[in-house]
Amino acid sequence: MANTWRLTLNEKNFIKTALLSEIRLDGRKPFQFRNIIINFGREDGSAEVQLGQTRVMGIVTAKFVQPYRDRPNEGTLSIYAEFSPMADPSFEAGRPGESAVELGRIVDRGLRESRAVDTESLCVVAGKLVWAIRIDIHILDNAGNLVDAANMAALAALMTFRRPECSLGGEDGQEVIIHPLEMRDPVPLIVHHLPIAITFGFFDECLVVIDPTHSEEAVMAGRMIATVNANGDICAIQKAGGEGVSQRVIMQCLQLATTKAADITKQIKAAVEAYNKERALQKIKLEPTCVGTNVKEGQDQTLDDKGISELVGKYMERLKLISGESYTSQNINDEVETKSLRLGTDSHGIKFSSTPLSWDPYSKGVDPEFLKASVASQGLSSANKKKEWSGEEKPSEAQRPGSYKEVNPKSSAVDASRIEMQMIGPKTLKDAVKPKNKRKKKGSSVI
Amino acid sequence: MENKQSSSPASFIGSTVIPGDVVLDLSSMANQTIKLGDGLREDRDAISAMKAGTLRCKKPNKYRIESCQKRYVPCAGDTVLGIVVDSKRDDFLIDIKGPALAFLPVLAFEGGTRRNIPKFEVGTLLYLRVVKAKFGMNPELSCTDAHGKAAEFGLLKDGYMFETSTGLSRKLLSSPTCPVLESLGKKLPFEIAVGLNGRVWVNAASPHTIIAAANAIMNSES
Repeated sequence: MANTWRLTLNEKNFIKTALLSEIRLDGRKPFQFRNIIINFGREDGSAEVQLGQTRVMGIVTAKFVQPYRDRPNEGTLSIYAEFSPMADPSFEAGRPGESAVELGRIVDRGLRESRAVDTESLCVVAGKLVWAIRIDIHILDNAGNLVDAANMAALAALMTFRRPECSLGGEDGQEVIIHPLEMRDPVPLIVHHLPIAITFGFFDECLVVIDPTHSEEAVMAGRMIATVNANGDICAIQKAGGEGVSQRVIMQCLQLATTKAADITKQIKAAVEAYNKERALQKIKLEPTCVGTNVKEGQDQTLDDKGISELVGKYMERLKLISGESYTSQNINDEVETKSLRLGTDSHGIKFSSTPLSWDPYSKGVDPEFLKASVASQGLSSANKKKEWSGEEKPSEAQRPGSYKEVNPKSSAVDASRIEMQMIGPKTLKDAVKPKNKRKKKGSSVI
Repeated sequence: MENKQSSSPASFIGSTVIPGDVVLDLSSMANQTIKLGDGLREDRDAISAMKAGTLRCKKPNKYRIESCQKRYVPCAGDTVLGIVVDSKRDDFLIDIKGPALAFLPVLAFEGGTRRNIPKFEVGTLLYLRVVKAKFGMNPELSCTDAHGKAAEFGLLKDGYMFETSTGLSRKLLSSPTCPVLESLGKKLPFEIAVGLNGRVWVNAASPHTIIAAANAIMNSES
């Protein structure tokens, strides 16, 4: 009893007085988020988010289950939230309390209703076997605004999670083989967009704050949680009781939420990219095989890093493009070409897998002309790789991929597909995104 | 508040001790009454430490161990900031961040009689003095000093209260003036009340000043 946190009248009045002067207890403005730090654990699919002093950890795991009867082609997604007693003296161990269930529900609704995670790709055998993705949210430290932090942790964990690749095989083709991690790289989930939860706290006299702290939560009269994504879609809104708020204020909050969601999405994506890059670099360093070592190692290193960072740059650009800016099919092709050129020269640590990507329902393998061209250009001269690039780039920017046939007619399709498949290491969203250039030619719209 | 007795047999005064250290040898101090404060234990012929911290001695014969922690162990004579939790017929129940709630007798005010009992709401912040505090029993508080005068004790109005560790509160109260307070005082006008139980109250004319001062003090610890 003596260890509980107590609110004084002084603090209550001071929070309101300070808000009238547009300042909060920690010096923030009313619409300012706290500092966000995203860290990842050693295993894929574990992320820890720090929002100021609030700390939440998200863990993603997957297992095989039977699908629901009414959705035989879809995998399942479930969220469990646990309020650890170490987070706050008022949290008790044991069954999740009301607020824990509410938090789980909010995060769940944001992900499920908006179909952020592609569940159809989780189907292995229709009607019999699907992947069930489970997200566990652990609250480590409560300093206010657990929902936003938990949502971010869940998203970061989902984006870095990799499930084992599995395929049908056996005598009758009905057996499911789960490939061990050493044989085939695990495969990421398809996440279409990131629904970000933003919490608003309402005080009397139309005072609104974003990202309330622990004391502010104790003093505020009502709260609203809006889950929006960077595209401006509103995925979910939650307002459970509390003080009534006018429609004008709600609309303002939603507009503000969209802006903040864009920032936070950028941050999460940057953190995930950095993590993937590091992971890939580690994998490359571990791989002993080396193809074509005429180039000096120092040069290779820089090429590698440069190549990767350029790839990342291209990838990020591609994501930006996909998120709705206008572009022509020409541009997309150019990017893909330049990317595959660089890929061709990333000769370190390439694992070979000659089958088309079996987990990606849209992939038919990549355009063979590309691959021939990229391999051919690599074969030309290993010493002047940079020159190669610039040489190949110019024509690529001006013409369509078909022109490659003229440049270098001969190649071996097998080599091409091998080098192409394993770009850096694990298959990432790049793979999912890459074949879109073909769909774009047909004029289809982005997801 | 603390001073070193170089003539004392214990050379541990002012230095760090850990649990189990024998800090005073009683056989050499016959016929002396020694008062043991927080963290010390009588062990046949010797006084040993139960807590890790610095051994302090207050004239003439009070010894205790001081350490920096978030919890507060009530000690008689300390000045603390308490929050009213409940009011009963004879006393107020106050939370002073200790293991048990403390009692503030309803009459423990300057000129307090049954007729002019103050009305404190739940959540009121008070500046108090600890009168009695023994292990196992609820501490007793008072809003007057030892002579019965008000002396700044009592209700703290407005302002903002935040929590710190006991080490920081002791540092803020030490003399000469703590450097944080000194440099803050040169730039900002503010009023401050520090409780040895790890609570600090700051008040100033504008919210910006209060927030600046509070955050400066909170961050001076790490």
